[in-house]
Formats: sequence, C-alpha cells, structure tokens
Amino acid sequence: MNNVKTISCPLVDIDFADRTFPFSYGPCPDRLEKSIATAGFLHPPLLVAGENGFLIVCGRRRLEVLRKLAEDSGEAEISVNLAENSSLQELFRRALWENLAIREFNLVETADIYSAALKIFTVDEVEKEIMPVLKMPLRPRFRGRCQAIADFSQELRDLLAVGSVDAETVDLIKEWSADERSALIDLVTESNLRRNKLREVVGRLDDLARRDQISPLGLLTAVRQAALDEASNIDVELLRRHLKARLYPQLTAAHLEFVARQEKFPWLKHFRLEPPPDFEGGDYRLSFTFTNSKEWEKICAELNTVALEDIDDLCRRS
Amino acid sequence: MTSAAVPNNYSRSLFRPTTVLVEDEAADCPLVESIIERLPNAEVVVVKRPTGADLDRLSQEFGPLTTLLLARHRGRFLKACPGTAETYRCCLYQILHLGLGCNIGCSYCVLQGYLNNPFITQFVNLDDAFAELDRELKRPGTFYRIGTGEFTDSLFMDPLTGLASRLLDYFGRCPNAVLELKSKSVAISGLLDYPGEIGETIVSWSLNAPRVCAQEEGHAATIEERLTAAALCRQRGYRIGLHFDPLLDFPGWEDEYRQTVASIFTHLKGDDIIWISIGAFRFMPQVKEVLKENHPQTNITAGEFIRGLDGKQRYFSAIRRRLYRFLVTEIRRYAPNVFIYFCMEDQYLWQDTFGRAPADNQELGHWLDKCCYRYHG
Repeated sequence: MNNVKTISCPLVDIDFADRTFPFSYGPCPDRLEKSIATAGFLHPPLLVAGENGFLIVCGRRRLEVLRKLAEDSGEAEISVNLAENSSLQELFRRALWENLAIREFNLVETADIYSAALKIFTVDEVEKEIMPVLKMPLRPRFRGRCQAIADFSQELRDLLAVGSVDAETVDLIKEWSADERSALIDLVTESNLRRNKLREVVGRLDDLARRDQISPLGLLTAVRQAALDEASNIDVELLRRHLKARLYPQLTAAHLEFVARQEKFPWLKHFRLEPPPDFEGGDYRLSFTFTNSKEWEKICAELNTVALEDIDDLCRRS
Repeated sequence: MTSAAVPNNYSRSLFRPTTVLVEDEAADCPLVESIIERLPNAEVVVVKRPTGADLDRLSQEFGPLTTLLLARHRGRFLKACPGTAETYRCCLYQILHLGLGCNIGCSYCVLQGYLNNPFITQFVNLDDAFAELDRELKRPGTFYRIGTGEFTDSLFMDPLTGLASRLLDYFGRCPNAVLELKSKSVAISGLLDYPGEIGETIVSWSLNAPRVCAQEEGHAATIEERLTAAALCRQRGYRIGLHFDPLLDFPGWEDEYRQTVASIFTHLKGDDIIWISIGAFRFMPQVKEVLKENHPQTNITAGEFIRGLDGKQRYFSAIRRRLYRFLVTEIRRYAPNVFIYFCMEDQYLWQDTFGRAPADNQELGHWLDKCCYRYHG
C-alpha cells in the first residue's frame, strides 16, 4: 500500500469517537475477541492523523476488541499502519473495499456509510460508485431509509444492527415520531417480539393508523394493554390476534361465525373441516385420521349419515 | 360534430413534455417527426437504446413526469392480456401494445409495481405494429377484442400522436376485430373529427366514485367530464364501454357509487353501452410499498385485504360481494339489459351476483364477443 508507514501507537492516541469512516456498527463477533485474545493482533489497522488523535480508517472492530482486552491486560500500545498524504476519498474507498472483501454490512452500517459518503463525495460519485457497491437502488425509498436510520436513537440502531428489526420495518416506522418509535422499542424489549412478527405487528399498526387516521402511539398503547396476560406480561400471540381482529373485522367475524356453525354439528368431532384460506375461492377441506380398517369403516359410516343440507349450511358464505 | 363540443376548460391531463428523448434506432420513424412538430418548445435529445441502468441514469437527468420517450418496440405488439390465474375469470382480451405509462398519476395504478421504465413511452414503429396486425388478424374464424389501454391511457397523448385516427383507419374496416380505446381523459377531438369509417370502435371510460376520482385519480378528468365526452362519442357513432375498476371500499361508498351510476344515465342510455366491467381493487403485494412511496397521502391499501388465489391482495370476499351486488343493482335500475361482467373475479362471486358464472375464460370471452355486432357478421 502506498503512502503508509507502520508506527507504534498508544491506544489512548486513537480517536474512537470519530465516525468519519463509519464502516462498523454493532457488537463484535465473539470469535474475533477469541482470535485476538489467542493469536494477537495480526493485521495492523489503518489510521490517519486527525485533530483529536488518530482516526480509524479500517479495523475499528479489532481495535474495539483490543481496547476491551487492554482494560484487563494493561497492554496499551500496538503497531498500526498510518496513512499519509492520502485524500479522504481515497481512504474511504480503501476502507469500503477492505470491509466488503470480508463481510456484508448491516443496515446501520449501510446507512452510516451512505450518509458519510455524501459528506466526502459528490452526489454523482455517491450514486455511481458508492450506492452500487452498497447494493442500494437509486430510488428515493432507499435514500430515505438510510437517512432515517442515521437519525434513529441508539437503542433502535442497536436493534437494527443485530437484525432484530428489518428494513421493511424501518420503511414503516421512519415517518413515526421519536415517541412512537420509543414506544415500539419498549414493546420489543418487553415482549421479545422477533423480527418477522415485529414486521407483521408494525405493518398492521401502520395500516390501522392510516385507515383510521390516528397516531400509531395511541394504537400501540391500546393494543399493548389488550395483549397483557394474567401476569401483566405481553402475550405476543394475543397482540397479533388483537391487531388482526381490528384490521380485519369482517374476516374475523366470518371465522367466528364458521366456528360457531361447526359447533351445531356433533358428527364433526371426528373430522376436521377447514374453510378455504381467508374464505377465498370455494374449496372446503374435510379430513380425518384413522389407524385401522375398523376405524375407517366407522368414520365412513358416520360420514354417510351427514345430510347435504348440513354441508350447505356449514359451507355457506357469510 | 366538431371538436368545439369537447369540454374546453379541460386541460389537467394534457401531456406537454418539456423534453423528448428519441431512441436513436427510432429516429427515422415518421411518428417521431410529427410528435416533435407538435412540441415546438420541447428539448429533443437523441439517446442510444436505453437499458435498465441507462433509464435510471436518464431519470436522474430528465424528470420522468415531463419527459416523453419515443422508442422502437422490439417484441410483439399484439399480446394476450396478462389477466390473472385460472381461478379467476378473465375475458381473453388482446392488448395492442403501443405505449407505456401515462401522466394521470392514479394512486392505485398497478403499473407502478410492474414497469421498470420511469418515462412515459410511445412506441413509434407503427408500420411494424400494423404489419403484425395484418399477419395476426388473418387467422380464419378468430374474433378479436383489442385494446390499447392496458399499459397506458388510450387517449391522453392523442393530441400529440394522432394515433387514434391511425387506429381507426385500420380497425374501422377490419371485419373480425373491434378496437377498444380506454381512457380517463377527454382528449377525444381526434375521434370526433375523424372523417372515415369508425366501424364498431368502442370508446371506454374508467369510472369511479367522485371522491375516489378527486382523491386518487391525479390529473384525470372528472366523472362529469368523462361522461360528457362519452355522450359526444356516442353521438358520433362510437359504442361506449364503462369500467368500474378498481372499486374501493371506503366510508360512504354506497352514496358515492350511486351518484356515479346516476350520472351515467343522465348522459347515456343503456343501449349506448356495449358493456360495463367491474373489478374490486387488487394489487400484487410488492405494489403496496411502491404505492405508499409514490402516494404517501393515500390509505387505499389499508383495508381488509387477503391474499387471493392468484397471489394478489384482494378485499375479503364478503366485501367484494357487497360492492358488486350494490353496483349491479344500481346499474340494473337504469339499464336492466346492459351487459355487466367482472374483471378477474371468481365464479362463486359471479354466481352470487348474477346467478350464473362462466365455466371458463373461453365462455366469458365468448359472452363479450357476442356483445359485438361484428362478431355476428
């Protein structure tokens, strides 16, 4: 590498707070800590001189691990590569490609890299060079997503970085207020709502808020209250059911009506009758289980006693 | 009848591009010159045949809403309407693919999720299109219902292209095909002033509730304007088609749709109308995000949508049934015999609403064919 010299650098001289080169965000993998603890610091990180110390260009995660280990071991000085006479753009490109060679960026990293690139490169350069590398389409939706993530609270960014919140959820909550997002984080923390179910919950909250033209915060408070179990913990399944019933009142009523209709027919206890999914199309499905010919015979005999009017009644559309 | 009778205060959906991108391989087509002549103030830029990445780049440079792309179409011009899966009935319509996109900007437009070309595009190699029609329509014993309004609005750009009269030249005398021009605009001067034989050409308007028109249909003509234009076209001898698609479920929809139906019959008689199609709002799931991005103010995707058997989001069937029964009953009050059909609907809802259902797509197609005089020779 040109314009680089290797020096010995005390950790205290490194400006860990600087995010000019924001290529890593989120917890470091355990295996990295184990590797450094066992084998040491094999590849020197790349730094560049800054106003308040050396700025980290590449190797932030390794340096973070090392700093943590150094607190225990007292080891406080390492060899680093120091870039000299290099432009910010050049260093940014180096860091980008070095990171890309070994891993994928998470959502927060992608957003931070995009935002930082806008400060260092022209818009044209960002669109032609940086966004394709980040696999970001040129559409406003993706820019808006990145800008939103850059403004999210640290708590929410942490959830994004570990994959507890996905990109589709970001698109839904990016217009929410800080209070609304904060309430959502509380819900996630309290209920341990997983990513896919969270996306479904947020999608339904968003639909309801738009349909009824109310704030997601009011909705969130209401559904949270309705989803508390006897021990005052949030029951995720209850929460989902409650939201579904609110968003799909007629479909929910049709399901309840169908269940109530089934109860009128005692012969159904041996069978499982399923309506078409969401009552779309006309195919009802009747199934039963058996283990031997006698059971088969008995069930078939029972099936033969079922009146056609009963079937029509069961399968009528609400 | 002259164009003076057309609503003269109507200008919302007139498309006046400030830039015309001309694909280099299309530059020698006569339609290019005639369009450019009608846009004396537009900047004309010749571009190499743009691919996906080029289109992205060009859309950064030239605003898609004010740019017209004139291109050569390389595929088939005449193709079957994509319709939807066999579980829903489709009418075996044929599309004459002459352009892409329009400037009306309906929030519910499903093309938002399908087109990767951001520019309103006019295909200009019309000689190729007519040559293909010559070859295709020679097939003996086959009757064609052909429309140009699937991927674009059939009329919004007619003042620039004069395409309607070219199509009338062809279809006015075509014995085994009818042409349907579908629109939400009232750019009908070319139709009214056409001096030749119009044959059984159908001019159709998409209709909706007045509130939907005002809130969701961008620069489209009002319902009254569309119906006034329909009446003028009827006077000129065109057959009129009406399409209630997409029907939307919203508070107060009954009164709103009742109002539109009543308006129809202040302008037209039942006999003037060849068919009325009805289809409730449906969309591919991925369209939802695009639609919210392009039209953040709309809440039309926030209803009781279930995943249909074709993978599209559709209103829960009980809602569709209610919408359909209401609308059909309203229409029948004024026009008991007008032919009404569903676009992409299942046979159970056909049966529920009409007491009969087409056994398959062929039968539905046949029902529509029979509405055409030409089909009977």
